[in-house]
Amino acid sequence: MDYLGQQLINGLTLGGVYALIALGYTLVYGVLQILNFAHGDVYMIGAFLGFFAMTWLGGPLAPTVPIALMLLVMFLIAMMGTGLLGIVIERFAYRPLRNSTRIAPLISALGISILLQNGALLIFSPSIRTYDTSSYIPSTLGFSIGEITIDSVRLGVLVLSAVLMILLTKWVNGTQVGRAMRAIAYDKDAAVMMGIDVDRVIRWTFFVGAALAGAAGVMNGLLMRGVSSGMGLIPGLKGFTAAVIGGIGSVPGAMLGGLLLGVIESLAQGYLSTNFADTITFILLITFMLFRPNGILGRPMMVKV
Amino acid sequence: MSNLRIGTDEWVAQHEERLASQSPLNKLFARIPLWAKWGSFFVIAFVFGAFSDNQYLLRVGVNLALFLMLSYGLNIVVGYAGILDLGYVAFYGFGAYGYALLSSEQLGQHWPTYITVPFITILTAILGYLISLPSRRLFGDYLAIVTLFFGQVFVQLVLASDNITFPWADDYVDITAGSNGIPGLDTFNFFGFIFDDIKDYYWLLMVSVLILTIAIHRVSATRIGRAWRTVREDALVSEVMGVSVNRVKTIAFVAGATIAGFAGTIFAGMQTSVFINGFDLPLMIMIYAAVILGGSGSLAGALIGATIMTILPELLRVPNYGAILFFVALTLTFFVISKKFNRFLIYVALIILIGFAFQLAMKAIGVTQANAEDWMVGLTGDLLKNWLFVPENRILWGNFAFILLLTLIAFFSIAKPIWKQVLLPFIGFTAIFLWEVRLIADVSTTRQLIIGAMLVVLMILRPQGLFGQTRVEIL
Amino acid sequence: MASSALALTGLVAIATPAKAADCTGTIAIMAPLTGGVAFIGKEQSGFAQVAIADVNAKNGSKIDFKEYDTQLDAAQAATQAPNVVANKGVIGVVGPAGSQEVLAVGGLFGANDIAVVSPSATRTNLTAGTYPSFFRPIPNDGLQGPGNARYMVQKLKAKEVAVIEEKTAYGTGLAKEFLAEMKKLGVKATNFAVNEKNADYAAVVTRISKTADFVFVTFQDAAKSQQVAQELIKQKKKAVVFGSDGSDQPTFKTPGTYVSGFAPDVSGLQVAASAVAAYKAKTGATSITTFGPPAYVAAQVIAEAAVRACAAGKIGDRATVLAEIKKTKIKKTILGGSLEFTATGDVKGGRFYIFQTQMDGSRKSIG
Repeated sequence: MDYLGQQLINGLTLGGVYALIALGYTLVYGVLQILNFAHGDVYMIGAFLGFFAMTWLGGPLAPTVPIALMLLVMFLIAMMGTGLLGIVIERFAYRPLRNSTRIAPLISALGISILLQNGALLIFSPSIRTYDTSSYIPSTLGFSIGEITIDSVRLGVLVLSAVLMILLTKWVNGTQVGRAMRAIAYDKDAAVMMGIDVDRVIRWTFFVGAALAGAAGVMNGLLMRGVSSGMGLIPGLKGFTAAVIGGIGSVPGAMLGGLLLGVIESLAQGYLSTNFADTITFILLITFMLFRPNGILGRPMMVKV
Repeated sequence: MSNLRIGTDEWVAQHEERLASQSPLNKLFARIPLWAKWGSFFVIAFVFGAFSDNQYLLRVGVNLALFLMLSYGLNIVVGYAGILDLGYVAFYGFGAYGYALLSSEQLGQHWPTYITVPFITILTAILGYLISLPSRRLFGDYLAIVTLFFGQVFVQLVLASDNITFPWADDYVDITAGSNGIPGLDTFNFFGFIFDDIKDYYWLLMVSVLILTIAIHRVSATRIGRAWRTVREDALVSEVMGVSVNRVKTIAFVAGATIAGFAGTIFAGMQTSVFINGFDLPLMIMIYAAVILGGSGSLAGALIGATIMTILPELLRVPNYGAILFFVALTLTFFVISKKFNRFLIYVALIILIGFAFQLAMKAIGVTQANAEDWMVGLTGDLLKNWLFVPENRILWGNFAFILLLTLIAFFSIAKPIWKQVLLPFIGFTAIFLWEVRLIADVSTTRQLIIGAMLVVLMILRPQGLFGQTRVEIL
Repeated sequence: MASSALALTGLVAIATPAKAADCTGTIAIMAPLTGGVAFIGKEQSGFAQVAIADVNAKNGSKIDFKEYDTQLDAAQAATQAPNVVANKGVIGVVGPAGSQEVLAVGGLFGANDIAVVSPSATRTNLTAGTYPSFFRPIPNDGLQGPGNARYMVQKLKAKEVAVIEEKTAYGTGLAKEFLAEMKKLGVKATNFAVNEKNADYAAVVTRISKTADFVFVTFQDAAKSQQVAQELIKQKKKAVVFGSDGSDQPTFKTPGTYVSGFAPDVSGLQVAASAVAAYKAKTGATSITTFGPPAYVAAQVIAEAAVRACAAGKIGDRATVLAEIKKTKIKKTILGGSLEFTATGDVKGGRFYIFQTQMDGSRKSIG
C-alpha cells in the first residue's frame, strides 16, 4: 500500500508538470484549431530562464536573497519571458498562416522549434545545466505519511501546479478575456460578429499557455532534472499526448489527461518491467483512444455538412 | 483588426495563382509536356550515375532516392488521402529491421535477398493494413495521435527487445539488440549479383523511384486516386456519394506502408547495419517538412521538397555555400522590402556607413580586435576585413548580437512604417555582424538555424507549398 | 666563394629533413556537434582543436582540422565518411564518438589506411581485430564494467545492488558487463533498463529495494545521476549511487557517492591544467566533462604521428601516419598516465580509478 502511495505521489508530481504543458496545447487548439509544435521548446526556454534568474541572484551556492524570494523571482522571470516568447511565436509562425490549411502552421512551428533549439545551443552553449536544488533546499526536508515520503520540493511542485490550474480555470471562466477565448473556441465567426477582438484574445491565449509551460520548465529544473537545449522534445510530446487524451480543446480535459498520463507512467515503471514500461504505456493509450476516440472530456467533433 | 475572410472559398483564394499562371513564364512552363519535366530529373540522375565515381555524391544520391520514396509514400497518405499519419516512419524502420533480422547473425538467419525483400515488403503492407483498422474509428487529430503512438510503440519495442526475460527462463532473450543496433548485415545479393558498391544501390533506387513515379501518377488518375481526393476534401460527402471511406483509407495506408517497407529493406542492405534511433521522430519530421514544403498532394512537390531537404543540409555543411546562401538571402530580402532600386541602394549605403561608424566607435572604446586569421574564412571574410570590426571576445559579442537582432526584428514587426525604415539598416548590419562573428565559426549549428528559418519563411510566403494549390479549410 | 657557400647550403639542406613548417595535414573531427548530445561533440571538438594547436606550437607544424557533424547517428557518419576519404589532406580522424558510428565507418576508413582514434567509443568488440585502423585512448567497457563490479563486492562489501541501465549503446554494453560479473561473483543484482529519453527517475528509485547497498548507473549525463542520488535521499533509501565514467562531471556531487573514471581527476592534474584552461578560453565553457580530455589525447596522437611522418619525409601520407600511431609512446598524457596501444588498438595497461565524492563535492581517489 505504501509502495502504491509513493508511486502515486511520483505520478501526480510528474502529471502536474505534464498538465501545465498540456494546457498550453489545449488553449491554443481551442482558439486556432492547430497544434503548436513549438510549445515544448517554450518549456525549455522557461527552464533556462529560471536557471539564469537563479544564477543572477547568486544561487545555487550563494544566494543573495532569501530562498523563497529567489524561487518567486525565478518563476516570475521564466513565466514572463516565456509568455512574451509565446506572443512572438504567434506573431511570426501563426498569424500569417491563419487562413491557410491546418498543416502549414505545423511546419512553420517546426521551423520555430528548430530555431529555438539551435538558438539556445548557440547562446547558452551545449553544457547541461542543473538547478542543483539540493544545495539550497535540502533533500531531507519534507514529511512522511507512514512509509511514504514527500519531500518539500515535490510538495511545492504539487501545490503550485494545483494553484496554477485553479487560477487558470478562474481565468477561463471568470474574466472577460477568458470568456472571449471560450467564445472564439466555440465559434470564431460569431465571436467576431459579437465584437470580440480576436487578435488580442489570441495573443492572451498564447501568453498564458506559454507562461504555464515556462512554469513547468522551472518546476522540472527544481525536481533535479537537467536543463539542455533538446529537453523540450519529449515533454512537448507528452504534453500533446495528455491534451489529446483529455480531449483536445477542453481545459479540464488537459489537466485530467496530464495527471492521468503521469500516474500511468509512474505505475507502469513501478509495477511492470521498466524495460517495457514505455511500450505498455503507449499500448494502453492506444487502446484507450480506440474506445474513447474523443478523449475523456472531449466534445465529439461536429462536422458541418 | 480581425483578418476574417467572410465568404472565402477556394476559387477566390486561388485567384492569385490563376493570375500568375497567365504570366508568360508560367505559360511556357505549362507547355512543356509532363514527361519532359519529370524526365529532366531522371536524365540528370542517370547521367550522374553513369559518369561519376564520387562516393560521397553517390551516397547523397542514395539518401535522396530513399527520402524521395518516403516522401512519395507519405504524400499518398497525407496528401492524397488526407490522413495525418505521425507514425509513418515506423514502417520504414520495420522494413529495415525486418531485413536485418533475416540477414544477420542476430537470429542466425541469412535468407537470400530475392526472398527477403518481397517478404518483408509484404509483411509491412500487412502491418499497414492492421494499423489502418483503428483509423476507422478515429478522425483528424485523434487519428494523428494514435498513429504517433504506434510509431513510438515500434521504437520502444525494438529498444526493449534485447532484454526479454521470461519467467521460466533463467537468461534473457535478445531479439533486436536494442540500442546497440544490428551491424554486419548481408548486402544485397540477387542471384549471384552482389551489391558491393554504392553505385549498385544508386541504380536500384533510381530505377525504383522512376517506376514508382510512373505508377503513382497513373494510379492518381484512376478511380482510387479520385476516391482519395474526394475523401481528403470531405469524407462525409464521399460516403454519401458511395465511396467506401474506410476502404479508401485502408488502401492509402497500405500503399504508403508498402513503399516505406521496401525503402527500408534497401536502406538496411545498403548501410549493412540498422540503428533504431534513425527511425524515430526526427526523421518523421523531416519527411513531413519535405512533403508539405513541396505541397502536399502533389507528386512533383514531393520530389522538390525531398530534394531540398536532402541536398540543402549537405550543401550547408560547407561554410562557403552557407555564406553565399546567407548573403544572397539577405540581399534578396532587402531588395524585396525596398521595392524600389534607389531605396535598396540607400539601405546598402546606410549599412556600410553603420559598419564604419561601428568600427570607429569600437576602436574609440578600446575593444580589442580579433586576430584577422581567425575569422577571415572564405571569400566573404576577404571582402569584409577592412569594413567589419570583429571583436576578440566573439562568443560574447555574438550572443549579444543574436539577442539584439531578435529584439530589432520584434520591434520591426510592430513598428510604424517610418520607424521600419530606420530599423532596417541596423537589422541588416547586425545580421552581417552576427554571421561573421559567430555563425560562420559554428557551422553545424548555423546549418540547423538556416534550415529552421527557411521552413518558417517558406511557409509564410507560400503556405500551400511550392506545388500545392491554395486550399481553404471550411470547418 | 659562391660555389662553396652553395655547396654548404646544399649539405645543410640534405642534412635537415623536411622542415616542420611544411608539415601539413588535416585531422577530421567526427562528433555530434548538434542534436541531443551536442555537449559531448562540442567538448570533444574543442579539446581536439586545442591539442592540434599545442602540437603545432611545439613543432612548428601546420596541421589543421575539419569538423564533421554526425549527431551520433551512424547513417550520417556513413554518409560523410566518403567525404572524409575523398579529402586528400585528411590523415586521421578524431572520433566518431559513438560505438555504432565506428561500426558504420570503420571498414571504409581501414580500407583507406585512415586512422580512426575515437575518444569515446567503448564497445568491447570494436578492438576484436575487425578494424585495423581503429584506436582508442581510453579503456573499453570490458574493463570498466567488471572492474566496478569487483570493487563494489570486494572492497565495498556490497551484498545487493541495483543497476539502472540507460538504454544507449554506451549504457547497455557497460551494464551487461557489470551484470555478468555480478553473476559470477554471486551477488544479487537487479537491473532496471530505462529509456534514454526518460527524464524522471522517482518511480524507478521507489522501486529500488530497501536492502540494496549500491545503485550502479550508466548515464552519460551526470545530472541524471545527481537526480537519482537525491531521490534516494528523499525516499530514505539505503543505497548509494555508483556512477560510471559518464557520471564524472561536476553536476554529480552528492557526498558519499562513487564514480569510476579512466584517469585521475583531470581538472586536478597539473599536466592537464593548461589544456583545460585553453579549452575554456576558446569556447567560453565553464566546466568540462569526461568526454573532452580523451579527444585531446586522440588529436595529440594523430598530430604527433603526422609530425613524425613529416620528419621521415612523408608529409601527409596516411599509411605512414597510421604506422606511426601504432608506435605511439607518450610518457604523460593529460589523462595522467602513459599511452601505448596494444596490437588491436586498445590502451596498454588501461585501468580504472575509483573516486568517492567528498562533502564539498570534490572527488577523492580511493582505488
